[in-house]
Formats: sequence, structure tokens, C-alpha cells
Amino acid sequence: MFGTVTLSLLEGFLTTLKLFGLTLAIALPLGLLISLGAKSRIIPLSVPLKVIIWIVRGTPLLLQLILVYYGPGIIMGDPLWGSGDTGRFIAALVAFAINYACYFAEIYRGGIQSIPVGQYEAGQVLGMTKGQIFRKVVLLQVIKRIIPPMSNEIITLVKDTSLARVIAVYEIIWNGQKFIKSDGIIWPLIYTGAFYLIFTGVLTILFRVLEKKLDYFR
Amino acid sequence: MSLLNVNNLKKSFGSTEVLKDISFSLEEGETLSVIGSSGSGKTTVLRCINFLETPDEGTISIRDEVIFDAATDKKLSDSAKRKKRLHFGLVFQSFNLFPQYTALENVTLAPLLLSNSDSNMSKAEIKLQGLELLEKMGLSDRAKNYPHQLSGGQQQRVAIARALALKPDVLCFDEPTSALDPELTGEVLKVIRELAEQNTTMIIVTHEMGFARDVADKVIFMDGGIIVEQGPAAEVINSPKHERTKAFLTGYSKN
Repeated sequence: MFGTVTLSLLEGFLTTLKLFGLTLAIALPLGLLISLGAKSRIIPLSVPLKVIIWIVRGTPLLLQLILVYYGPGIIMGDPLWGSGDTGRFIAALVAFAINYACYFAEIYRGGIQSIPVGQYEAGQVLGMTKGQIFRKVVLLQVIKRIIPPMSNEIITLVKDTSLARVIAVYEIIWNGQKFIKSDGIIWPLIYTGAFYLIFTGVLTILFRVLEKKLDYFR
Repeated sequence: MSLLNVNNLKKSFGSTEVLKDISFSLEEGETLSVIGSSGSGKTTVLRCINFLETPDEGTISIRDEVIFDAATDKKLSDSAKRKKRLHFGLVFQSFNLFPQYTALENVTLAPLLLSNSDSNMSKAEIKLQGLELLEKMGLSDRAKNYPHQLSGGQQQRVAIARALALKPDVLCFDEPTSALDPELTGEVLKVIRELAEQNTTMIIVTHEMGFARDVADKVIFMDGGIIVEQGPAAEVINSPKHERTKAFLTGYSKN
């Protein structure tokens, strides 16, 4: 039994990891774009982005998941995401990526704003271009400052992926829960917790290493 | 021919007129001190000639070549600005060193970036020059230290080396010792004094009157956005002609 459960949970965890990894891969750069757009001087760009950030951060992710999945089919009569497992996974990925991009955008904003204006001015009087100032002067300082809030948010994402079960994405908890029905046992569900703990534990260590690496300057 | 000519500079922020009509010139190898109370516009003058602010009116010339004319250059492109501002170096009150780079890297970063586009200096030469500049600042043993490992005075000396690395025509200082305690102030002033002795062309905005008198060739006293008085350093500080200058200097010597 333990072997069967482990295999099933591993399979579910793979989906969890995929959702987690792809969400990060999209949301990290998308968040930067949203953050730059939201503070741009182009009002037709910045205002809608600010409204989107407000809506996304102000409503439950669970609600967004359901709306993203069912919305296109019911409202537009076009099930945008395709059918079956893949369609549900893509819908979940879209909802997660948008949601997390908005949170990341706020983290980037905080990080960029925390850099003293003197750093930019020092770069300017030394004849650097805007791009050089961003890449060579500001970027690493921003990264250093956003690691703690980023790691927090990313660890939350690991656990949030379990919400995808609401649109029947077969992630690890879905797979654990089905043993209640089929075999009347609950320990597989508790067992899923171990997967989360190990994975978030590894991430915590990784972030700590990264923080240490950037400890050489203040 | 003067090295630097600033003519009829005017600058307002909103409805506040910060610079009302600033003109002065500077000869090669001269040191100019700008004194005056806070809010008199001293720092804005420096920021204008370093292209951190765009003057509303006036011209700035280097060796009789106009490098900025407000009538035509208000909307200078970034790359045009970049070339022009390299005539000047600026040392900030708050140092503004780059925290993630060592002292040496702070000094060599800009020359290395510039050498990628157009330069005659190799990487090795730039590094050598950086080390020489740090040595000149008395910081040979600090080349590999990061800014947070240095005292304020050492940080400011790194900042001076960083500005010198681009060989500006005019090196500007914006209250270089105002963030330092008296002990550290001394070591920074000593370095600036040495630069003056080597005929580095400098503009120093400062509250150190004794230093201004001893080191500067010329002194400008500013008040309310205008130059009230300018002349040879000892003359302006020891025997000011204008009432406002007298009042300002009397206030100082009382402290």
C-alpha cells in the first residue's frame, strides 16, 4: 500500500512542481513588466495596470481560478483553454501566473523605490547610460533587497498550487484525498504534508544561501 | 581664455526661483569655493553644470566652446548629455559609492564601461590608474574593501578617486565634508588641499570657511539665488564688502 500511495503522490507532486515552476517562469518576468508599466508616465498603461493589481490582490485566488477556467466558455461561448487535463492545467497556470505576477510587481516596486536617488545620480555624473545604471548599479541592490519578500511569496506559491484541485487539476492533494474514498485511509493526505515540508525546506535553504551570497555588501 | 564660463544661469523649481542670474568664470588650475547659507542655491549651481538639473536660461562654456545653451539645449538627448557632463566630475555630500563594488571597482567601473565604446585605455591600464588614484588618496591598503567596511572619510576619498578617474576638466564638490565628523573632515580636506596644490581645477561648495580661505583662489558668496560677492578668497572672507556677506560670515565666526 505504501508503495502505491507514494507513487500516486509522486505523480501528483510532479503536477504540483510543474505548476509551481511554470508559474514562476512566467510571473517573475511578467511581474517586472507590470511593475515598470504601473509606474510609467503613460497613463493609459499605468492606470489599467494599477486597477488590475488592485483587483488581483484584492480578491481570492480561488475565485480567480474558477473564473479563469469557466469564464471564457460561459461568457464568450469559447472554452479558451481546451478540454481535458491539459486545458484545466493551462487555465490554472494562467490564473496563477497573473495572480503572482501582480504580487511580484509590488515587490519589485518596493525594491526599486528603495534604491536612493544618489545611486542613479552617481551613475549619471560618471557618464553611464540608463541601461548601464540599471544593470551595473541598481539591479544587484534591488535583488538583494527583494530576496526576503520574494522567498516568502514563493513559498506561499508552493502551497497555493493545491488550490488548483478546485478545477480538477490532479496535484498532490487531489491524489492523496482520493484514498479516503477508495480505501478509507487518511494517512496519505497527511503524507502529502511531508512533500510540502521537504520542498519548502529546500527552498528555504536555497534562499538563505542566496541571501548569504549577497551578504558581502550593504 | 577661461576654462569654464557660466553665463546668466537661471533655474526655477515650480514657482520658486532658485538661481536668479548666475555668472562666473574659472581659470585652468584654479580652485573656487562657493559659500552661503542653506537654500542659497549653491548646490543647484553644481547640479546644473553637472547636467543633473537643466537650467531654464543661460549658457555653460568650456574653453570658449558652448556646451550648454538653454535657448537650444533644453531637451538634450541622454547621449548628448552624457558626453558633455564628462567635462565635469561631482563628489556628493553623501558619497554615493556603489555598495556592491570594492573601492577599486568603484573607481574603475565607469572607465571600464566607457572603454567598451571609445577609449585608448586597456583594462590593465584602467586598473593601474585606479590603484594609483587610491594611493594618491592614501587608500592603497583599502582597494579590496567594500564601502561599508570603510569610514566616512575613506568612502569620500574613494568617491574623489572615482570622480578623478574620468579626468574631468572641472572637479566639483557638493559639501564634501558635511556628512563627516570633525576628525574625518580633516582627512578629506587634506586630500582636496593636495589636489589644489597640484592645480586641479575645482569648484567646492562648502561650509568650511577656514578651508575656503586657505585653499581656494576665488570665493563666491551666494544668497537667495544670486551671487552677492565674488573675488579672491582671502579678500571675500577676511574683508567682505557687502553687508550680507558680512552678516553671513559674522554668524559663522560666532560658532
